Amino acid sequence: MTDIRSDSLPMPDQARLLAMLRSTGVEHSPAQSSGADTRPQERHAMLSYGAVTGLLTGLLLVLALAGLMLGSVHIPAPTALGVIVNAVLGMELVPATWRDVYTTIIIETRAPRVILAGAVGATLAATGMTIQAIVRNPLAGPSMLGVSSGAATGAVVAMRWGLVGLGAFSLHLSAFAGALVTLVSVFWVARTGGSMSPTRLVLAGIAMSSVLGALTSLLVLTSPDPQMAARVLFWTLGSFGSAQWKLLPLPVAALIIGLGVMLVQARRLNLLMAGDESATALGLDVNRFRQSMFVLTAALTGVMVAVSGVIGFVGLIVPHIVRFLVGADHRRALPVVALVGASFTIGADMVARSVISPLELPVGIITALVGGPFFIWLLRRDAKGRHA
Amino acid sequence: MSLHPGRLCLEGVSFAIDGRDLVSGISLNAAPGEMIGLLGPNGAGKSSLLRTIYRTNRPTSGQVRVNDMDVWQQSAGWTARHIGAVLQDMPADFPLTVSDIVAMGRSAHKRLFETDSDHDRTLIDSAIALLQLIPFKDRLFHTLSGGERQRVLVARALVQQPAVLVLDEPTNHLDLHHQIQLLRFVRNLGVTVIAALHDLNLAAMFCDRLCLLYKGRMEALGSPEHVLTTERLARIYRIEATLTRNPRTDTVWVMPS
Repeated sequence: MTDIRSDSLPMPDQARLLAMLRSTGVEHSPAQSSGADTRPQERHAMLSYGAVTGLLTGLLLVLALAGLMLGSVHIPAPTALGVIVNAVLGMELVPATWRDVYTTIIIETRAPRVILAGAVGATLAATGMTIQAIVRNPLAGPSMLGVSSGAATGAVVAMRWGLVGLGAFSLHLSAFAGALVTLVSVFWVARTGGSMSPTRLVLAGIAMSSVLGALTSLLVLTSPDPQMAARVLFWTLGSFGSAQWKLLPLPVAALIIGLGVMLVQARRLNLLMAGDESATALGLDVNRFRQSMFVLTAALTGVMVAVSGVIGFVGLIVPHIVRFLVGADHRRALPVVALVGASFTIGADMVARSVISPLELPVGIITALVGGPFFIWLLRRDAKGRHA
Repeated sequence: MSLHPGRLCLEGVSFAIDGRDLVSGISLNAAPGEMIGLLGPNGAGKSSLLRTIYRTNRPTSGQVRVNDMDVWQQSAGWTARHIGAVLQDMPADFPLTVSDIVAMGRSAHKRLFETDSDHDRTLIDSAIALLQLIPFKDRLFHTLSGGERQRVLVARALVQQPAVLVLDEPTNHLDLHHQIQLLRFVRNLGVTVIAALHDLNLAAMFCDRLCLLYKGRMEALGSPEHVLTTERLARIYRIEATLTRNPRTDTVWVMPS
């Protein structure tokens, strides 16, 4: 007669493994490789994490250099490199055999533009990845929080009434104010009884977006300025054309602080993917964490939209590409998503500048033209996977 | 907090939403290493009661204590280091591998920004080996079968090194072989277990004591023989049942008719 309850586990090694699980780490000794294999195994990836990061850093540098070279005036690579090296070192290490105007073009126009594009792309991509974790939906993105629409409304207010007294950056400041007001509203709408469910957060964002979108349209259509619609459309589609050194500190600081916080919280972001109850049982104060991450991502989105307009699809598409490359663990994925996001927007901005040069297209058109079809492909692939 | 059996004590635990009691006045002491089966028809309050243990439902009155510490006075991290939970919510649709998910169990033991040590990796690999998941280590979670997924979630709870393991209907969606394998496994772990179960016969077979809930109240607590009576099965489960014994395990066997 067999007692089903005390039947031993079907593992030859169970006692040793259980003992291992009981260990507190103080008396830690590496796993003996007798019996079951407990050695760490490499992921079945084609490339290691280090190689992927290295390649993508290289890609970012190449694109940044191309961003300095290309434009209405083509500047050869050695010249562009020389200008940058001299500027960074503050002395003429590379003999300046080029025309002075090249230095001016690169330092005054193209360098801040490349930095702005990179900072915005990196932040939007990292923000998108974090938002997807906090609403537990890989198809979410920064524009879903309603903050972009709020920024657009703020920008239109500034365009219509000028908001004198705010100086050269009145447009950006007004857009950021719009984003902040929206952030607070969405937060207030989405929060019930101290908790903020992913569904409510998404619904609150969508509702605020449509209200603000209507408000923006109203302001545009009732404006006495016949050029208003075109200006608003151009701004809404996003551009790095306003890049200048004075504008850079805010988005760059936002990138460094925002990405830093996300990296510190990467382990907790992972827990959110497990589901709210499991995350709680795994030691996370889910409500508080989701709320603080919402405020962080919404504020970052607000800063980026305020300086560059609404650049769609970066925060949606890039996280997908990155998870495909290095997996969904935020500790690995967040640094890579920033690299790829920066590369994506710098590349898109180059295309936007060159297609109808010397005029330029809004960069949002390029990112949407590339991102939209990719998103559709992703959805189709997903649909097939489910029915397979 | 290192996978040594702990003492779980519920004292007059009640939980209400909008003034409606979902659980009222439940008191229960689980000795270290004991396995307790939580029974009751749908809506009896099993999950609501378990949620008060793993810090999702704050009791409106009463206390939940683990090793004499009030769970709700401790941090979420402390709770996660003492209580592991295998729940019904599944990881969202992200490309998470089995290793990624098991590794989540170490979070509560880590400070922010602290990386996984050799010790963490040993624990993760041991849990994966113990649950026979080595071949699935790098597989994506959502490509696994129901039984494999459940084993991954158990492995994740084990690397928390809990003193108490909470299981909410762990045998849902599992075939009979996997149901028995899973219950036998947690029984032999040597931690204190409280599990909501639907299968009365499996509960009688594997649990030391059963706790029968009905409309949020405790109807009975004790050995399977004591708790499972024809009278209660008729009144609470609304079934006419004959009670006999399983000749191989010598445990109560409920035969509905």
